[in-house]
Amino acid sequence: MSRIFFLIIIAVFLLISCKEEEVDFSLNNCKRNPGFIQSMGFNPGKSYLSTSEEKTMGLVLIESEQPGNPHARKVKIAQQPSWRKAGWLAPILLDEKGNIYTAPAPFITVFNNPISNNNTIYKVDNATGEMNEFLRLPFADSINPENPFGIVGMAYLCETHTLYITTVAGSRRYEENGNIYAVNIETGKIIDKMAGVDALGLGITYITGKRELYFGLARSSDIMSVSLNKEGKFSGSPAKSFSLSGLGPRGDDKVRKIRTDQNGNLVIHGMEFNFNLIAPREKQETVYNFFYNIDERKWVLLNKFFYNKSFCSLLQTNDLFVMYTHLLFSRYITALAY
Amino acid sequence: MSGIPLPHNLPECFRVEMYNYALNNTSVAIVDVASQRVLNSFYFSETQPDPPYSLVELANRIAIESPEVEKALGFKPTKEKLLAQYYKTSLNRTRCERSRHLCVAPTFLLGEKTLWAIVDLTDHRLVGVRWITPGKTGPAAPILTERKLQDEKISACFCEQETLLANEGWEMKYMLTSSDGLRISNVMFNGKPVIRNAKLVDWHVNYSGTDGFGYSDAVGCPFFSQAAVIAWDPPVILDLHDESNTKVGFVLEQSFRSEGWPTPCSYNYKQRYEFYKDGRFRVSAASLGRGCSNTATYRPVFRIAFAGESNNFFEWNNNTWNQWQNEKWQLQGATTTYSAEGYQYKVSIPGGGYYLEPGKGQFKDGGRGDYSYVYISKFDKTKDEGESDLVTIGPCCNTDYRQGPEKFIEPQAESIQNASLVLWYVAQLRNDDKPGERILLG
Repeated sequence: MSRIFFLIIIAVFLLISCKEEEVDFSLNNCKRNPGFIQSMGFNPGKSYLSTSEEKTMGLVLIESEQPGNPHARKVKIAQQPSWRKAGWLAPILLDEKGNIYTAPAPFITVFNNPISNNNTIYKVDNATGEMNEFLRLPFADSINPENPFGIVGMAYLCETHTLYITTVAGSRRYEENGNIYAVNIETGKIIDKMAGVDALGLGITYITGKRELYFGLARSSDIMSVSLNKEGKFSGSPAKSFSLSGLGPRGDDKVRKIRTDQNGNLVIHGMEFNFNLIAPREKQETVYNFFYNIDERKWVLLNKFFYNKSFCSLLQTNDLFVMYTHLLFSRYITALAY
Repeated sequence: MSGIPLPHNLPECFRVEMYNYALNNTSVAIVDVASQRVLNSFYFSETQPDPPYSLVELANRIAIESPEVEKALGFKPTKEKLLAQYYKTSLNRTRCERSRHLCVAPTFLLGEKTLWAIVDLTDHRLVGVRWITPGKTGPAAPILTERKLQDEKISACFCEQETLLANEGWEMKYMLTSSDGLRISNVMFNGKPVIRNAKLVDWHVNYSGTDGFGYSDAVGCPFFSQAAVIAWDPPVILDLHDESNTKVGFVLEQSFRSEGWPTPCSYNYKQRYEFYKDGRFRVSAASLGRGCSNTATYRPVFRIAFAGESNNFFEWNNNTWNQWQNEKWQLQGATTTYSAEGYQYKVSIPGGGYYLEPGKGQFKDGGRGDYSYVYISKFDKTKDEGESDLVTIGPCCNTDYRQGPEKFIEPQAESIQNASLVLWYVAQLRNDDKPGERILLG
């Protein structure tokens, strides 16, 4: 009798442990605006942070008469001295406390962006606005001048406080040396790493019923996905989900950024990328919307938009505005709205 | 333009597709020919219609007659032999995203492999060819585009290997660098070493209308490079003629272009080496615009490493040649004096030497004078001072001698007597801005 009971207990345990975790995609929406913005006398509802100012290197805080319209008059512009020290910057990512994470990326030239600093994450303190080095990711042994890029993408998983970072540092034409790191921002420790993959933009979605990280490859138009576990670590092997190959005006776009919209669709910003520093003024960028077909369990192209003007449209993501701009592949503007 | 009959219930109606070659746009109209009315019309920017039969035929003919296709196949194809069986499926759509032209790819099947020939139907030329082995299963072959073909060819043929060149008594190797333009090396004339290597390190573009605004452009290879302006086409070698059209030497020239040129804030640079039968040579560069405004000063930074371990450098001053003792820089200005022949400097190399004649507008190529900064630094085998590919060495907008090379001669200037020397030459070129004379030459 006790033996049968034991077997039943084991079976129940196995059934429970094999049940897939169900998660809600709205969970990953925790970004807060930095506290220092108001203390600097800026109206948060009309202000945005930018790394895309053509004539100002680093992070810039701007109050505009019409946020989202780049041609609108800028009422105030401010830059703390520390916001320049890392040279030209790339992504802007906010956490639930309002801290800002960013990383250097060269703009046209490496003159202000030494390659040796391209794998460094910087953090702007929510309260003081001071920007300091947060974490230096390991640099590939094969640092080389032919590849001017390091960190190229960031995404944040709110529930585990995990920052995901793509870096192509040290990659060469015939050597794929990039990595995707998972960093716990509370401890500042690397908790996981996917080695040997050159990836650019990345984003997180729960729409498939799993916690999944999607990332675009830097050497092809493919978008890969990998599951994330409750700790924010990579779970299983990455697999190809879909591709931008053959889509859009160029047909071989690489993923600059991946965002999840309110409906769980993946909003993918595609553009040319060949590991060089070309920066055409009228950057051709295409935004592809993919929705998840639950019946067929695959992502399907919903529509696409061409952005071929200097500045693009305003896209709203819950309480934060994210405006995508011209110039280089990794420049960002994050607008703030209270 | 092509007209496509609509379904049977609209026998008099046609869908008319019109392609604007200049703007790469497609207009579509639904017309009722019986009533001679346009029922509806649409407009698509950056879109190309399916090519009509006449253009398909034209593309096939261009491909068949192309020497590149013949070379790739190993024989001259004929339409009957190669296209008949596969005619209906032989024309792959492809993209000429760089030129924004209408392109298609007639495809030849040879055994298990297919040869794609991208044909530009706007310019009526072959863009390039590529063998593709289609898999029966698995992922589809990556899409073939004009840019991919051009960039891969440049990379494989000129960025990853040096090319030997022997012409008119000159011998050298040349290759495209990651960010230092077209580099020549081991240059000899009639068997005597002249230049160890020469290259174009940077273009500093300073817009004087806005303080401190501009760019430091590196030029170089399209893949894995620090170049902001890249090579689209291979280097070309041309005959060099004098005013009486007599051949006097040859030219090695390379173009670098921004995507989207000539839209505003895009650039088109030329790098040009001239080699003369009599042993003279000339290093030059040009900006063909367009830039962000007409108030720019362009400063190309050349690096020329002379051959030999025991060079000496002299300047013409007070009617004599005065030797430079230590590393230094000098600006060519209104008070600069030149020898009777027009020379400002001379350098000795093993078995002879060269005079340096800076641009003063005398070359009849549109140049208006270089106003150059000249720096001489000592080559040190134990330090890399630009012998390998250089990162951007100077900011966009310094208006004085601090263009980058000064870091190799400061703070402690070394003796340069009987030493291996490197010449850095930074010309200063302002926009001409006269119609028809907007080319900048240095």
